[in-house]
Amino acid sequence: MELSDSVVKGLQTLADPACFDFRAFTAFTEVAFDSLLSSRTDRALDLPELKKIDQALLKHCHVATTTFILEGIKQNADKSTISSCLEDVKFDSERVDAFYTSYQKNKRNLESLLSSIDRCPPHITDASWRLEYCMKNGHVHNVNQPTFLISFNTEDGGNEGTSSDVNFSCTLEQLQDLVGKMKDAAKSMERATQL
Amino acid sequence: MLLVFSDEHKEHLGFLPEVDSSVVGEFGRIAVEFLKKGSNPKIYEGAARKLNVPSETIQHGVEGLMYLLTESSKLMISDVDFQDSVLVLGFSEELNKLLLQLYLENRKEIRQILGELAPSLPHYQNLEWRLDVQLASRALRQQVKPTVTMKLHLKSGGTQTARLFQTDPATLLHLLQELERALAEVKSNHCRRILRNIK
Repeated sequence: MELSDSVVKGLQTLADPACFDFRAFTAFTEVAFDSLLSSRTDRALDLPELKKIDQALLKHCHVATTTFILEGIKQNADKSTISSCLEDVKFDSERVDAFYTSYQKNKRNLESLLSSIDRCPPHITDASWRLEYCMKNGHVHNVNQPTFLISFNTEDGGNEGTSSDVNFSCTLEQLQDLVGKMKDAAKSMERATQL
Repeated sequence: MLLVFSDEHKEHLGFLPEVDSSVVGEFGRIAVEFLKKGSNPKIYEGAARKLNVPSETIQHGVEGLMYLLTESSKLMISDVDFQDSVLVLGFSEELNKLLLQLYLENRKEIRQILGELAPSLPHYQNLEWRLDVQLASRALRQQVKPTVTMKLHLKSGGTQTARLFQTDPATLLHLLQELERALAEVKSNHCRRILRNIK
């Protein structure tokens, strides 16, 4: 794993028992993982265990640690990679183990967080429908046709998660066609998962 | 149900018995053509010169036919009702037959054209799909994320649009289940009873 000088320096500070005693270290790493996963990040470093440490230093270490965590998750780093990186920046084995335990505990959630950062077309999340029977309108009488009004609820990840609806109407035959095509897709998907 | 003709409409159609039946047939063809593709005033002038009458008379005749066809198609009146309706105009039996034939031959298509005028949401046209497995992205390497990409073609008025969506396998199955419920509803007792009784 390639790390910038700034990250290496931040991690070295975190490894230094003169700066962070073990209690401060565990509190600090916990905050680092939490700050990535929760949206409430203000005053996260405002802990009694960290009172003695210089604020600027603390911020530098925080950036370094979160960068290291994200890089590890991004590359799906295993235990030996994480350990050797941390040993390179002078982590003792107690700190390496403590860090790796937290890393393992939060790995799944961080992975789904990173996989959600993506540019993709709007994602369909749900569908609603309404069945109507059209009797007549201003231009044609005796229409007497069932009509389905379909609404796909979509979420746009690229556009700050805004949700919108796509509405369209279908005759009976058109809906059968739509369902048939979606069934094809679902069947292919099922077959693909059995490979 | 019988058609009711206004005096103005009767007057416009009154031009038809004055010309040959083949000319009326031609007017009928033009009227249907105009309903399909929009009117073209140049044709009136050409016909007016040939028949040696003012082009307004031709225009009124063709438009009278168009109105006769759209009204009877709109109301979906039966053969008998159509014949009884045009009787008021006092045309020859041959001409009446010609009009009936024109109506019956084009009713289906005219109703389809009129149906497009009704206010409605974009209509489903087609769905294309593709199955992908996302393997990596800038933010995360080594993924296995199956996605279904769908292109939904819709038609609104005369314009076609296509929109691109994505979804995950679980949601696709849910969507399918929900839409199948919608299809099943048409066959429910409640719907069948209503459909039978509204005629």
